[in-house]
Formats: sequence, structure tokens, C-alpha cells
Amino acid sequence: MIKITDLEKYYATEEVRTIALNKLSFQVQEGEFVAVMGPSGCGKSTLLNILGLLDDPDGGSFIFNGIEVAGFNERKRADLRKHNIGFVFQSFNLIDELTVFENVELPLIYTGVKPAERKKRVDEVLEKMQIMHRRKHFPQQLSGGQQQRVAVARAVVNNPKLILADEPTGNLDSSNGNEVMDLLTELNEAGTTIIMVTHSEHDAKYSHRIIRMLDGQKVTENVLTEYKSKTLEV
Amino acid sequence: MFRNYIKIAWRNIWKNKLFSAINVISLAIGLSASFVIGLMVYYDFSFDTFHEDGDRIYRVVTDFETPQGNYKNGGVTPPMRIAAKEQLTGVEQSAYFYNWWISEAKAEANKQTFKDPEHIILAEASYFDIFQYNWIAGSKAMALQQPNSVVLTRKRAEAYFPNLPLAAVMGQSLVYDGTISATVSGIVEDYDKRTDFYFNEFISLETAKQTESSDEILGDEWENTNNASQLYIKIAQNSTPEQIKTQLAALSEAHVDSEMIKYNNKRIFNLQALSDLHFDHEYGAYDYSGYEADKGILISLVFVALFLLLLGSINFINLNTAQAASRAKEIGVRKTMGSSKRQLVLQFLGETFLLTLIAAFCSVVFCVLALKTFDSFMAEGIDLSLMVTPWFTALVVVLIVVITLLSGFYPGVVLSRFKPARVLKGSVSSSKEKGVLRQVLTVSQFAIAQVFVIATLLVGKQIYYMLHQDLGFNAEAVAYLQTPWDDFSIDKRLVLEQELKRIPEIQNVSLGGMPPASFNMATRMGIFKKDGQELIQELQILNGDTEYLKLYDIELLAGRPALNDTIEEYVINETGMRAFGFKDPEEIVGQYLELNSHQRLIVGVMQDFNQRSLKDKVMPLMLTGDTSRDRRTNFRTLHVKLTGASSGWQNTIAKVEQLYQEVYPGEEFRLSFVDESISRFYKQEQRIATLLNWATGLAVLISCLGLLGLVIHTTSRRTKEIGIRKVLGASILQINALLCTDFLKLVIVAYVIALPIAWWGLHQWLEDYAYKTEMSWWVFALSGLGMMLLAVLIMSFKTLKAAIANPVKALRTE
Repeated sequence: MIKITDLEKYYATEEVRTIALNKLSFQVQEGEFVAVMGPSGCGKSTLLNILGLLDDPDGGSFIFNGIEVAGFNERKRADLRKHNIGFVFQSFNLIDELTVFENVELPLIYTGVKPAERKKRVDEVLEKMQIMHRRKHFPQQLSGGQQQRVAVARAVVNNPKLILADEPTGNLDSSNGNEVMDLLTELNEAGTTIIMVTHSEHDAKYSHRIIRMLDGQKVTENVLTEYKSKTLEV
Repeated sequence: MFRNYIKIAWRNIWKNKLFSAINVISLAIGLSASFVIGLMVYYDFSFDTFHEDGDRIYRVVTDFETPQGNYKNGGVTPPMRIAAKEQLTGVEQSAYFYNWWISEAKAEANKQTFKDPEHIILAEASYFDIFQYNWIAGSKAMALQQPNSVVLTRKRAEAYFPNLPLAAVMGQSLVYDGTISATVSGIVEDYDKRTDFYFNEFISLETAKQTESSDEILGDEWENTNNASQLYIKIAQNSTPEQIKTQLAALSEAHVDSEMIKYNNKRIFNLQALSDLHFDHEYGAYDYSGYEADKGILISLVFVALFLLLLGSINFINLNTAQAASRAKEIGVRKTMGSSKRQLVLQFLGETFLLTLIAAFCSVVFCVLALKTFDSFMAEGIDLSLMVTPWFTALVVVLIVVITLLSGFYPGVVLSRFKPARVLKGSVSSSKEKGVLRQVLTVSQFAIAQVFVIATLLVGKQIYYMLHQDLGFNAEAVAYLQTPWDDFSIDKRLVLEQELKRIPEIQNVSLGGMPPASFNMATRMGIFKKDGQELIQELQILNGDTEYLKLYDIELLAGRPALNDTIEEYVINETGMRAFGFKDPEEIVGQYLELNSHQRLIVGVMQDFNQRSLKDKVMPLMLTGDTSRDRRTNFRTLHVKLTGASSGWQNTIAKVEQLYQEVYPGEEFRLSFVDESISRFYKQEQRIATLLNWATGLAVLISCLGLLGLVIHTTSRRTKEIGIRKVLGASILQINALLCTDFLKLVIVAYVIALPIAWWGLHQWLEDYAYKTEMSWWVFALSGLGMMLLAVLIMSFKTLKAAIANPVKALRTE
């Protein structure tokens, strides 16, 4: 599903040029659950931004579903993104001015789903995430765990092929964190590919494979569970 | 999707109540001003736009060029009516009419007399070919063909013959001034649209032969030009006004007479477009209500409206870009969810639209209030009914759209540019560039406000100067009483003078023409012959009895006043004396001037005084007595000097009125104070001042609201910094200074920019005045200081609060 080759990304200020990604290469198969780990500043988030088509690589190749997307302009990336990718963030990133229902509805609005269909799908996913009773509340009125469940609901409402999770349990206590990890695992079992950036070894164990990074490069890769029958090419 | 935009827009507006209020108020002020001014402009520009082929209708007018200056006259010389028909080519129709003033009209049917009926013209039948009316009775082909026939408008017909149905009014008789009768031959509907053609009564031109002014109306002499003689032409479709003007110029050349050559005068026949009729005061129209449409003022008003709108939009842009950081997360999330830039810009435009819409609703309410407040400032016809016209609706819609785009587009673009990858990490640093734009906008805003403030102060200073400048005569405690103009005899006036002198509270009474300074002044050409050379000078002629100079405290510099009230002796003013080449007052006394081919003796020299507003210089002037008493007296005004405190004048005036009514029973009592009538010279200036006061107040208000918004924003953003500084020992004043300095710098830069602009503009404005107040440095200093003080006050309101707050709290909340 994803194949990156020699991916590069720099951040330049007036005086220094920092290398965030240094010729990084790996692949992710459809249906896989991959955890990316590494110390702060190793390039995990940069990688996630590029994989999520939020940012452009400065060099290398990024093939998504068989299409080279490295040179895409913002409009094309937005188009590809809204139909294929869901996001879960550490800080939830719910819009404070919208209710739970409206937050979850947002991706459907941008993909042009009709209002009746939107309501049906949002209700379904809220039901599934057991947050239906909070549908009219605003984010500030929810606990962290509930907010992250809303965020997950929003990430999956569009049935994306890929979910990118950036420290999804970072702001949660352990029981709420486990709940979210269980949710992600369920989604993965239902067929969604998941790439998760995390600091937590505990969370990483939920994945099939852990990629460890340092200074923008991949250092090791442990396969925890052989993913279905497919052979991993490293 | 649209509903979603509106929903979030509304919640955002509600969440940031203070900023929303600032935005709505700023925009509403600009919009209200635009609505009111739009109505005024629409009103004046919608005069006489309904005439069929109006773009081909022109008035033939007359321009004079003389050594004393250039004059415009809206009338023509009577023979032009024939020349227009027989000599001008390319003219489809021409209609001559004479604006006829009479003292009474009598309806024969009910023997009722109507005093001073207005808006009567003696017109050629072709008047109705050029100007279309709806005919209720009679026809335009026949109505004015015969002498002694008259066409009435419906209103006039109903006024003259209240008990008759319109059909029965046809054939009724009217008698004008007791001698000239006319039969009603047609009735037309009054114009129901805005027009300067107020006429209600159209008498066939032939009838003029029976009047005393027959020569003046129908004469063959090319010398006389009277602005009551009006000529309209309709240019043929294949012709142009330029072609007609060329022919008119040829006619001017063909009719130069010896007098014109002698006095070096030039007369040029010209054309005035119908669309210009409402605006050109020099040619004049037929409205005597006192309201003057002035294109210059209208254009200034449009600029005021635009500036106020601009200031409101600047507030909007500044506050929204400043607040960008707080919207960053939302934008990041929306973009991540797949929103395109365009969708985001549209969303922000939607928010702006909603806010503008709220502002527009408020403005319509303000507009209603403003129409009431500015009642005296505006023409009578401007009222609420204009607000329900399609034109007004269109203005509202267009302004809402323009303001939405002007205010919302830039912030929308700035906000939608945020990179989601960054903002979601929480790293929104509003880049330096945007801060610069905000500074530029704030500076422009304060520069505009500052120019307004300086202008207000200086215009006020000039008006004060003009009202308090010594005019050269005493205007205080002097009232003047005008007597009925159709009484030509002096007798009753002498009786009244004697009666008034008996009132103990009256110090002095003088009979004469108008007060020393007035709008009405007769002029004559004076010729002084010296060493075979002729010095020709236009002279103003003032009539007054032997008490006149004394009553007005006008000093006699040499010679003596006239011996009695009727002898034709002249007292000249200093300017007049100098115009004839004399330096010493004693020298001109005893000299003769030629006036109307007679040699007249100068018996004295009086000090100069201003005869008009201080816009004009002192003109050469001579005072003489009642020189035509045998035919019609020139002494039509009684000048009364009152004694005692002004609180007691009311009683004195009541006594004067009682006496007046005894002498002139039933006539209108027209008494005015000289100083009040002088202040009327400056009506235009006072209008400008009123306008400026409002514009300035509103501009300063909008700018200060904007500043307040920015300060609130900055202060809340720097709460943590303030806390840390306080913990480290900064004093409240130091913190206040820290927060204010940046903004104060902008206000100072604005002042530096505004200074030369205001100086130049006001210098130009003052050029029009012969007597001008000084452009004192303190006006500029005071306005600058005032503005800075105001800015500091407004900022301190918020910054002091922030500085005083407990730092621990600030640090904890961050």
C-alpha cells in the first residue's frame, strides 16, 4: 500500500539546515499495523505528516496505492487525503466550536456526502464508539478518553484505507489509553491499515511490526506478529 | 456545507463577543454613513431624469467676462428666442419662457384673491413639446396658442377653484395683478418625480404684451439679459451640443454692442445640460427654498463614507489576522479532513458576510436615526421613503458584498495558508510580514483620523475667525425690519420711523436699503475722468439716510455725509477711493464721478467695511440717499439700534411689531438681527463644520475601537511575559509603557504622515477666503497631542489591568 524510497526532508532556518528524514525507505502492506518509535526529534512526526499528505518530501519517492504522490500539489494531496486517510492526534484536535456530532461529520462534508447519509453514518460510528449519548456536547465538556474516542470516530467515519495515529494515547491515562488501543486494533482487524507513532513500548506491542528511527533514519525493525500470510520485504 | 459555515461563523462571533462587537460597530458606522450619504447623492442626482429625450435638452445661458470678474447668468436676452428658431440649425425644438413674479391672482368664479402666487411662467406653446406633461383637460397643441390663456397644474387648479370639479375649471377666468385676465385652457398633472421645474401656472407668452414688462420679456434689444428670461432647446438627434455652441458663439460675436466694447465686457451664449441644472448655482434653478445641491459637498461626502467604510474594514482585517493563531487549530483540522484552500476562504468570507449582515441591519436602524438628526442638513425631500426604493436595496446589497470581500478576503487568505502539519503541532508563529501589514493598516487608519481632527480644528478656527472678525461696522444690537416690497412709496415708512423713534428702548432708527453687509447689493459703473483718461470702476451702491453711518458706527474719514435724505450726493469707501487713484481721503472729496451719464459729487469718504462674507475682499462702494423717491423709494428697510440687555429685546420687538401692524395691517413682519444674518453668510462653512465634526468623531471612534481590539489581543497574548516581568521586578508603569510603546509609535508615524496632507489640504481650502485665520502651529500640535493622549488612555484601560493583575495567576493560566 505504501512504499517510500530514499525519502528526504530538511528544515532550514537562516543559519542551519536540519535533516529530518535522511534517505528513509520502507513499505507497508495493506491491512498492516505498524508502530514507529524513536526519541524526540528523530523524524517520526515529519514522516507521519508526509505519509498523511500534509507535507511534501524534499527528495525520494512516495508511492501510495501504486501512485507516485511525492510531487503532488496541495489540491491533489487534499483530494487523495480526504478519501483515503484518517488521522488520530495526541492532542485530539477537535474543533472546539463544533459539537461531537459536527466534528465527526466534518470529513463527510468535505467528501460531499449528502446530509441524510451523513447523519446515518455519523450515528453509526458514534454508536460503535459508544459516545452516542454525547453527540450534542462540545469537546470541552468531555473527558480526554471521550475526546479521543470522538477523534477516532472522526478518523474512521469516512472508511479510510489508512489511519495515521500520532501518539494517540499520549494525553490519556492508562485505562483510557488501553481503550483507544483496543479500538485501533479492532479497526485493524476489520481491514484498516494503521501506522502509529508512539513513545510507549506498551502501545507498540499492539502492532504487527515496530520501526525504530534515529536522526531521520531507520535503525531496526522488529516483526512482532507475522502479518497474515504475506511475506514482508525489508 | 453552507449551513456548517454559518453555524461555526455564528459560534465564533458569539465566542469573541468583544471583537465581534468592535467589528460590527466599526462596520455599522461606515455602512450607516454610506447609506445616509447614498440617499443624499441619489436624491440630488435623481432630479429631472425622467424627461423624454432629457439628454438632448439644454438651457441656453449667458456667460459674462468683465475686468471685474466673470459672471454666469441662467437667462438669455429676449431676441434669442427668435434666433433659436430662425438662425440655429440642429435644434429640434426651442421654448422660451419668462419667470413671472406677480403680487396677486384672482379667481373670478369665487372672487377669491391669492397673494404672491409663485411658480408662474409666461411660456411659448412649445414648452409642452420639450417638457411632457400628462394632460387632464385640454391639449398641448391648442392650450397656449391664444393670448390670455393659461394652463394650470392639478394642484394649482384645486387651490384656485376648490369647489369646482377639474372639468369645470376649464374656461374659468383668472385676473393677475388686477389687470391681466386669462382663461384656463388646459390642466396638467403636477410632476410626481423629483424636478426643478416647479411651475404650476403656464400663461401664453403673447399675454406678456399686456404687461408692464412687455419690453423686458419680448423686446428686440440684444443688450439686456435677465435671468427670468429662460430658453430651452432640444437638440436634433443628428446634431451635437458643440455644433450649437459654435453657432451660439457666432451669435455672441454678431451682437457685440458699443457699451460692451467700452467697458471691455464680453458676452458669450452657452449651453447648460439639463442634468447640470440641479447643481450649478451660478446659473441657478427655480427653487427658492434655500437648499442648495452642491456637487463638491456631495463628492466630499462620498469620500467621507468611503473613508469610514475603509476604517471599519481595517479594524476587521486587523482583528481577524491578529486572532489568526486562535483559529489555527481549526484550520489545521479542517485541512487535514480534506478542506481545500478555496473552501476555507469561502468559509471565512461567509463569517465576514454574516458579521457584515448584522452590521447592515444595525445600520439601517442608525440610518433612520441619522435622517432625523441631520434633518436640517439635508434637502426636504430626503426621508425614509427613499429607503424603500429598489435603488436603496441595491446600494445595501452592493455594499454588503463589497465590504465582505474587502474585509474578509485577506484574512481568509492568510488563515487558509496555514500548514496543517505545523499548526497541529501548535507552532503558529504569526510571521513578521503579517504584523507589518497590520501596522501599515493601523497607521493609515490613524493618519485618516488625524487629518480629520486637524481639519475640524482649523475649519472651526476659520469660522470663529469670520464670525468674530471686526467687519468695520457695528452689527451688535442692530435689527432691520423689511417692509412690503410692493409698496413703492416712502410715506408709510416715514410714519413707521417716527413711531419707532418714540420707543424708549430704541436708541436710534435709520431708513435705508439693506444693512452694510448683505447678499443684496446694486452695482453701477462709475467713470472718473482725469487728464483726458477714463478710469472705469464697478461700484456697489448702498442707500441710507443721514443716520445710517451713525447707527452702524461707520467712521467718516473726510468730508461730510449727504446733506439730506434725498439729495444725490455720494460718500465713497476707502477701497473705492483707491480704485480711482486717490491716496488721501481729503483729495477725492469734491470730485465728480460719472454715473449713468450724470456727473455726481463725492462729499465724503468712509472707512472700509466688509459688504459680504470674509470670503470676498472689500469692494468699492458708495453710500447715497433715496435717489429715486419720486418713482419708487430705495428706503425699504428700517434699521433699529436697541439699548439695554438682550434679555429685554423681546419686549421691544413686540412693540415694534405692534406698530408695524398698525402701519401695515395684515403684512408679514420680517425682522432680523444683523449679526444673525451675517452668520448666515457662513451657512456653507457651518454645514462643512457639522459634517466634519461627525466625520471626525466617527473616524476617531472607529480607529480607537480598532486600537482597543489590538491592545486587548496583544495584552492577552503577552500575559505570560507580563507575569514573568513582574516576578522579576518590573513596575506597573514600566509594564504599561512596554505595552503602549509599540502602538504609540504607530500613532506617531500616522501623525507625521497626516501632518503634510492636512496642511496642504487646508491651505487649499483657505485659498478661497480673502480673510483667513492663521494656520497656527498649535492647531497641529494640539490635534497630535490630543490623539496621542486618547490612544494612551484607551490602551491603558487594558494594559494597566494586565499590569496590575497578580503575576502568579498569569503564569498559572498560561
